[in-house]
Amino acid sequence: MTRNNKFLILTLLGLFLVLAGIKWSQSGSEGTAIDPIVLYLPLPHPYCNAVGEGGKAYQESTGTGVRVLVGQESTQANVNTNVESMYTLGHQGFAIYPVDPAGSKGLFARLRDGGRHVVAYGAEPMEGSAATFAVATNTRSAATQATEQLIQLMGGQGKILNVLESLTDANTPIRKAAIEEVVAKYPKVEIIQTVGDVTTEAKAREKIESALVARGDEVDGIICTGYTTTVAASVLLSERNAKAGAKRIRFVGLDTDERVLEAIRLGHVDATLAQNPFGHGYISCALLDRLLNGWEPVESYQFIDSGAVVVTRENVDDFQPGIESMTKRIVSEMEGKYLVKR
Amino acid sequence: MSTRTNTLNTNLGFGQTDWVSSRTLGLILFAGLLMISMALASTSFLTGETFFSQSRYVAFYVLVAMSQAVCLAVGDLNLTVGAIGSIITVSLGMAIAPEYAALSPWIGVPLVFLIGPLTGLINGLIITRFKIDAFIVTLSMMFVYMGLRSGISGGNSYRVPESFWWLGQGGAFGIPFMVLIVLFVLWGISFLYRNTVLGRRLLATGSNSDAARLSGINTDRMIVVAHVISGGFSALAAIMWASWSGNAAPQTGDDWLIISFAVAIIGGTGLSGSLISPVGILVGAVIFKLIQHALVILKINDNYSNTLLGGLILLAIVVDRAREHFGKEGK
Repeated sequence: MTRNNKFLILTLLGLFLVLAGIKWSQSGSEGTAIDPIVLYLPLPHPYCNAVGEGGKAYQESTGTGVRVLVGQESTQANVNTNVESMYTLGHQGFAIYPVDPAGSKGLFARLRDGGRHVVAYGAEPMEGSAATFAVATNTRSAATQATEQLIQLMGGQGKILNVLESLTDANTPIRKAAIEEVVAKYPKVEIIQTVGDVTTEAKAREKIESALVARGDEVDGIICTGYTTTVAASVLLSERNAKAGAKRIRFVGLDTDERVLEAIRLGHVDATLAQNPFGHGYISCALLDRLLNGWEPVESYQFIDSGAVVVTRENVDDFQPGIESMTKRIVSEMEGKYLVKR
Repeated sequence: MSTRTNTLNTNLGFGQTDWVSSRTLGLILFAGLLMISMALASTSFLTGETFFSQSRYVAFYVLVAMSQAVCLAVGDLNLTVGAIGSIITVSLGMAIAPEYAALSPWIGVPLVFLIGPLTGLINGLIITRFKIDAFIVTLSMMFVYMGLRSGISGGNSYRVPESFWWLGQGGAFGIPFMVLIVLFVLWGISFLYRNTVLGRRLLATGSNSDAARLSGINTDRMIVVAHVISGGFSALAAIMWASWSGNAAPQTGDDWLIISFAVAIIGGTGLSGSLISPVGILVGAVIFKLIQHALVILKINDNYSNTLLGGLILLAIVVDRAREHFGKEGK
């Protein structure tokens, strides 16, 4: 037997003995205390940061341990690998953004089968998933609201540039369908072009700019239903609409980045739809906390609309309290409306 | 016939007596130390649940890394590993999803698997026939495949019938099927490189392409073969993942490129060709997963986790180069 082979056998044998010894020594111990709730954020992103703030605020206000974990990429593979690591640690409740509504189904089922509670936030998982709740903006209703707002701003006629975000995001197909449905109701309104498959602000800016260069004179309104696209379009339109003599292109976006709000304040762009990401985190943790303490869902799956507010120049500086009050109202109604103690 | 058999018999094993190389031994030692540290840090580490859950990722990473390693071993690289995975996933969805062709997985899966080697064949033929650098060809083809997957799927996932979940989610005697299959595949690939003429020719092509060609090896054919095998590994990884996650999501493969390089390099695959160690890749995958698991367990600031992984890959390359440097000096 060669020296390498002997060394390999000794290494494997030594490793086995050491690990067996550690396992034996741990058999009597109870282990370290861990936070009962995991709030999983798919990646570092302003929306996710706000959701994380909600989770931290819940921990501060109630004392219930919430582990906020940020993933590296917004892919189901990355969600799975990180969440399963947390699962093996023994955390009991998981609030997860279903990056892929169908793909999440398998992960949620594994968590449920392991005796864990799952709440989805930010988007709805696929029907029949093991999540008992989804806390999210009503995507269809928000996209409908935004489109109606834009058409109203356009005076009920004109051509729309529809800017979608990532094609693989759970909400994108729902938004696309909702926008097309509203436009179909107005005979004098048409979608002149749809651009999409955008994941970064730079890509969004490039695609919108290309579309405006090609069809700028024809476009009367732009609708963006993603964070990155909204920021990119706001910056571009701020430049364009500020120019003297330029045709005013109407705009409705989604989410409330400070650059978007500033553009609204200055009157360069018209409106955006404020979601409730803080509530997504806070409400999800509140639900999990109750589920872990003997409360049971009224139904096997419930959708909780976390609310959305149209932000215009009129309310740009005072819309936030309205959103916060929605979170408070949902939490105060939770016991009885969504959960019961059997 | 008898003469050929005798020739092959004398070549079997090619004089190798070590089960693993010194480099792989070092990796095993490092993985062992990591395991001990994590077992001490977390009482939940040494459990059957952790083994079942985490070993599937190791198996999956091995397949993804092998798809890169076989190309690196002939002195090429393959940027399409993830894109091929996504095309396979979309094809699988269209083949077996109840809303589409609804083929039985027993028919649909083997058919779809063939697309993997076929895409590898296309890559390999373009590289060798048109004498274009593998980087340029696979970069271009990556965009081609990614565009196709988005165009065909529209970004929507396909439902994988539950009758196909057993492959990714099931197991026997506490060991996931995925792990058993990957161990079998690793044995096969190890046999290929250690005990067959084809394997030695693949390595010779990666070691010194000109010398290999002058000694009568059809190096172009070896490059094509490597890409075909690579496509096969990508396909297998995609099929396993779809079965495991219970759906066929078009974004499958988006994060494979970094995994493929990271695990292959940590596992001791030579960046300049000629070196491949299936056991090393298995240990590399274990180390990669252990580090990911450790980042979560030790509550290291999540935003820096990619920095740590990148640093580890760089460290593996530096150690590799240092070993080569001091090895040459020793000679």
